[in-house]
Parts: sequence; structure tokens; C-alpha cells
Amino acid sequence: MRITIPTSPGLARTALALVLLALPLLAGCAERPDPADPDAVAEFKFNNDPIEPFNRTMYSVHRGIDRAVLRPVAVGYREVVPQPVRTGIRNLLGNLRTPVILANDMLQGEPRRAGDTLGRFLINSTLGLGGLIDVAGNQFGVRGHAEDYGQTLAVWGVGEGAYLFIPVLGPSNPRDLTGFGLGIAADPLTWVGQGAAVDALLYSRTGVTVVDTRESLIDTLDAVERESLDSYATLRSAYRQRRNAEIRNAVDAPPAAGPTGFGVGVGMDAPPPR
Amino acid sequence: MTTIHRRLLLGAGLALPFAGTARAQQDINRAASFIQATGQELVAAINDTRADLATRRQRVAAVLRRAVDVEGVGRFILGRWWRQASPQEQQEYMKLFEETLIRNLSARFGEYQGVRFSLGRSQQRTEDDVLVNTIIERPNSAPFALDWRVGDVGGQPKVVDVIAEGTSLRLTQRSEYSAVIQQNGGQVSALLTAMRRQIQQLAAREQGAR
Repeated sequence: MRITIPTSPGLARTALALVLLALPLLAGCAERPDPADPDAVAEFKFNNDPIEPFNRTMYSVHRGIDRAVLRPVAVGYREVVPQPVRTGIRNLLGNLRTPVILANDMLQGEPRRAGDTLGRFLINSTLGLGGLIDVAGNQFGVRGHAEDYGQTLAVWGVGEGAYLFIPVLGPSNPRDLTGFGLGIAADPLTWVGQGAAVDALLYSRTGVTVVDTRESLIDTLDAVERESLDSYATLRSAYRQRRNAEIRNAVDAPPAAGPTGFGVGVGMDAPPPR
Repeated sequence: MTTIHRRLLLGAGLALPFAGTARAQQDINRAASFIQATGQELVAAINDTRADLATRRQRVAAVLRRAVDVEGVGRFILGRWWRQASPQEQQEYMKLFEETLIRNLSARFGEYQGVRFSLGRSQQRTEDDVLVNTIIERPNSAPFALDWRVGDVGGQPKVVDVIAEGTSLRLTQRSEYSAVIQQNGGQVSALLTAMRRQIQQLAAREQGAR
């Protein structure tokens, strides 16, 4: 196996992640709270968003992209592709994420969850026709769960760092963004080969993942957009709370290909496709 | 005599931890049956299609006023801005907050038609409150879990928070309201204006979804 560095989409995406990581360094800082007001200081620390003005700018960039491209594509996908096919695609994406989930189950010292992940992979890859059908979940009651390097770093005691909003990727922080980069770099599927066909496959997988994720969030994000008086603040709070619950493995198993499977995501409830 | 004394002490020492767990179990049972009863009342009001919208909304409002610690939750959500608000603003905020709570549910009457509700498996005691786990089922959509945080307010069990997928609603809402005030130069009145507009939108949706 030879690795061609400049054309590998995996490396290109890792490089992109690194560039994104450096962005906040160029960003402006939020106005510091009055040190004489302990409540204001407490809130500032609680929100963990020292570069809020920059993040809000990124959020409005994201909403522009979302309105013009992401949401319409996701809505079209939901309208055109029948629900059973969408479920199959989501199962397939979840099955392809097995190496990353398994590695992180083990890195977090969770042998039972690692066993679930491995068992699911073996059953779904064979009886489940290469991962299209979640036989392990439906017939054997072994439900999938997500794990990623951001969560492992957290379990190892790495702090989240300042909150970040990144266009297209959504809410994040340096720890989860690093985890996202590691997830791509350490995924064997990133390095399986070379050539136009492999690159095309990897790019399609990324594209389908983005569309599938956005489709799973249509109803939730529509509700936030419609009901929140400040959707930026709502998403920030929801992402950080949800992420902490995931790190503690406290949320009921989200689908393996769910939005937070990225290590980033909106951190909100993603219902199964309808 | 010393033996008796020692026995008494020993007995008391043994009984105390058991008294503690029995007490906790009692709290959990009380909170769970309170949520069970409240949930049934809400579901009955939502699903009563024979009554008109206003009647159903009033029934839901009565249940919420009784079951939710509206005052406590409202003040928690306004957080540090409560002290900055004038007495008139505080009063106005409380009125709008209660209205928002009610309208948020009544605007979803259509969506929640045929909703079913049952207690989930894990009920647990935290430092001050009890978390009651429930499962909400709607026709044609996947069931989801909601945790109700039940506190003791003046000797009565009251809902103080709702938690969905690890996300506390009162924390998220506090963040949202505070952001509105901050983005408007620290004016509580800006939040009140936004809340009034939101209530109008919710009322319009309620009419549209009938």
C-alpha cells in the first residue's frame, strides 16, 4: 500500500481541520464581564465562549450555507429517497464507522461496549448484507452507540477548551475538533488505497454522511430556528450539555452514524429517519 | 445499664442509614406517582378532541400552574438579570414566562394528538430532587425519553426542570434569555418584547394546527 500524500482526501481533511483549529487565534475576543459583578463573571465562565463575536460571525456564515445548500439538499433527500432506503444508508454509514467506534471503546477501557461494537460489525456485515440492515439491533437487541476521539480525550481528562462554531461542522471546541481530525486520520478506510476510484468513494462517503446528518436534524433545527429567541445561544448550551452526557455515556445509545458521531455535530436529539 | 445504653446506641446507629434509604425511596415513589398523575392529566387534556382549543388550553394551563414551580423556574431562568429588572419588569416577565410555558404546549396540540405517556425504568434521587424518567410515544414517530426533575416546594412535589437527551431545558433557556438581553445592551425590556412576539407566534400556530 502506497500513500500518496497530496491527493489523499483523508489528509486533505486533516489539514483542513488543522487550519480550522488555528482560526480562533486570529479571532477577536468577547467583551470581558465586569470583574466587580460575580454573577456576570460566573455566567461568562459557564458559557465558556470567550470568542463569542467571532463564533457568531461563523454561525451566520453557516446559516447562509445551510439555507442555500445544506437544508434544501437534506429536504430533497428526504422527499426523493424512500424511508427504508435512508435507513439502510444510515446503517451502512454506521457500520463503516466501526473501526473508529471500536478503537475508542477500547481506549476508554470499555470492554463490554467494545464487544457490542465488534459483535454488531460481524453480524451486520454478514447477515445484515454488508451493514445495510441493522440485524444486530433489530434481531439480537444489541443497539449501536457512537464513540469518537473527542470523547476519549475527555475521558482521559483533556479539557474542552473554548467553544467554537465552525461552518458546516457545527458547534465544537478544540478538543472535539482534534478528535474529529484524529477520527479521520486514524480511520483505516482513509488509507485503504489510492487512485481516482478510492478518492471518489471517500468523497462520496463524506458527502452522504453530511446529507444524512442534516436530514436527521431537519425537524430539530427547524424547531430551534422557529422557537428560540437566540438560536446561537440555544445550540451552544444544548451542544455542550449533550456532549457531556455522551462522554459520561449517560444518553441512551444514539445511532452510530448520528450527528455527534463526528465528534462534532449540533449536539441535539436526532430522531431516526421517518 | 451501660449495656442497655450501648445497645440503644448501636440500634440507633444501625437504624439510621436504613431510615435514610427508606426516606429516599419514599421520595422517589412520591415523585413518580406525582409525575404519573400529572402526565395522565396532561395527556387527557391534549387528546380530548371534543373540547375546543381554548378549553383544552385552559385545562393544560391549570395542570401546569399546579404541577410546575413556575415562580422558581422563571426566576432561575432569568438568573442574574432578575435583580437588574425593575419590579414592573419582574412582574411582567413572570406573566409572560407562564404564558410562554402554556403556549409552548398548546401550540403543539396538533403534533401531540394521540400522545401516550408511561413511566420509564430509572428513577433516581439526586441531592435535592428526584429525577423521574418517562417515555413519550406519539403515533408515527419514534418514542423518546424525558426526565422530569421534581423538587419539594413548600412540602409539595413540583416540576423544576425537564431533561431531554442529557439537555436541561431550564439551563438552555437561561442561556437563550441571557443572550437576548446581552445582545440588546443589557436591557431586560428587550427580552420582554421578544417574549411578547413569541407568544403571538405560538398563538398563531395553535390556531393553524387545529
